[in-house]
Amino acid sequence: MAQYVFDRRRNNGPEDSFPPVFDSDLRSVASKSEPKPRKDRSPLDIRPIFLQPGLITQATGSTYIETERTKIACAIYGPRQSKNTSFHEKGRLNVEVKFAPYSCQRRRSPMHDAEDRSIAMAIHQALVSSVRLETFPKATIDIFITIIETDGIEGCVAAGSIAASTALTHAGIEIVGLVISCSAAIINSEVWLDPTDEESSSSNGTLVLSCMPALQKVTSVWQKGRMERKFQCMKACQNRSDDIHAVVGQALLEAAR
Amino acid sequence: MASAATASVLAPPSVLDQTHNLPQEDQDALKAAVFQRLHPRVYLERFVREEIRPDGRAFGESREAAVNVGSISTADGSALVRLGGTTVVCGVKAEIAEPALDAAGVGFLVPNVDLPAMCSPRFRPGPPSEEAQVLSERLNQALVASGFVDLDALCIHPGKAAWVLYVDATCINYDGNAFDAALLAMVAALRNTTLPQATYNEETHRTTCARAAPRVPLRLSPSTPVAASFGIFDGKYVLADPTAFEEPLLEGSVCAVLGAGGAVVSLSQTGSVLVASADGAERDVLAECVAAAQRRRVDLVRAAFGEE
Repeated sequence: MAQYVFDRRRNNGPEDSFPPVFDSDLRSVASKSEPKPRKDRSPLDIRPIFLQPGLITQATGSTYIETERTKIACAIYGPRQSKNTSFHEKGRLNVEVKFAPYSCQRRRSPMHDAEDRSIAMAIHQALVSSVRLETFPKATIDIFITIIETDGIEGCVAAGSIAASTALTHAGIEIVGLVISCSAAIINSEVWLDPTDEESSSSNGTLVLSCMPALQKVTSVWQKGRMERKFQCMKACQNRSDDIHAVVGQALLEAAR
Repeated sequence: MASAATASVLAPPSVLDQTHNLPQEDQDALKAAVFQRLHPRVYLERFVREEIRPDGRAFGESREAAVNVGSISTADGSALVRLGGTTVVCGVKAEIAEPALDAAGVGFLVPNVDLPAMCSPRFRPGPPSEEAQVLSERLNQALVASGFVDLDALCIHPGKAAWVLYVDATCINYDGNAFDAALLAMVAALRNTTLPQATYNEETHRTTCARAAPRVPLRLSPSTPVAASFGIFDGKYVLADPTAFEEPLLEGSVCAVLGAGGAVVSLSQTGSVLVASADGAERDVLAECVAAAQRRRVDLVRAAFGEE
């Protein structure tokens, strides 16, 4: 049920509305089902990435990323003057994530909620050590991310970080290296990379690793749940990140031509 | 040695000098960009005097529109519309609610537009700006006034259950004329929407949908509402489909939403639409704009939906 908040700034619908209930779902008992084995990729494969820098012409830099069903647009504005803040010797990185109301299985209210804040935090953490913030004191870089469709929160964080780092590069902002993220889940005590929503909800634990493959440095690790083979997971993520790094490099090169 | 050192002291390399290293073409582009930024009005005036607009269009020419439907699988219907640089994504989510007491057999249509901070440097993050609120309300009026969606067909059981269609449009890139693009996106998304077959059980008071049964499209009016906007610049020129650069320089604007056969669904005029001709006589261009909007509608409906 969408929590009803009357908002005089928007067109409001009825007070209560519910997503449709399907007859077949009522009969089957909701249980933590075993994930179906993957059809078109092996556990250590990721979904194909489509990356297009420069679609948002109004922004300093921008990227659109699509990994099968996950679709994310990211725009960079700045560096521009920091408003309402005291003097900072270093620049600031501001990450805002917004879910489109139609991006999930259930409609999201257009207001901010806790989930987009935590994704913004995770992306900020992944990126902040890669940006040379000391080169623009008193200024802010705004990173705005709109999630058009999701298929798993882990995939969103990973794709969002890649998109934001690519957009920063496209904007010509000085960074020490491209940040690449990759997610993994433990399913049946096996490592599955880039889990979908269904897969990550049936796993015990998930992990998102962000790193700079060019420098062989990890920028952040975000783990949820119980994971028995986390180092094996991280290693697998890091190996796959090298491949994604090549994809991002190629996309940026083509956009520059 | 000494003379070289004094020369470098006398002429320190300044930031401005760095542009001289660029090729001539880039230098000119930079000068033009600076001029456009500092004197937008004069910049546009110089273009229109040559009977052309900064993006190379004629005054009456609209930007090309591209419509792509059904790419968002989490929505019940979706569309992506690109009108030149302006990009709008629209998704329809259907939910079930109890109908209003005074309209027991009628469903709901809830259109909203979001202009997030992502789409233009003019917008700030936070609640919808005044511009977004006005846009949402105008779209609501256009959709309601045209009767495009048959709200009676959204009723599942009178007084008990009806569909609510949340039509949310998100602007991804704002390059002017968001209204035309948003209306086109909403209409295309609604045409793409299908609903599961729902039944209301009077004993359990529950509404359930059949997963096996085929989904049904919405019952829509054959008269698709399409908008066309025009701006008046300098009291002399009528610019069709203004861009984000032109919009703040316009002194008047006309927006016509038309249905099939040129039936006017909604018409809005802001500011004066009196235009001076070459001989100095002033004329009202409202009727001309409506006629141009009708031509635009025919082209758009054919290009986007392949009909009429």
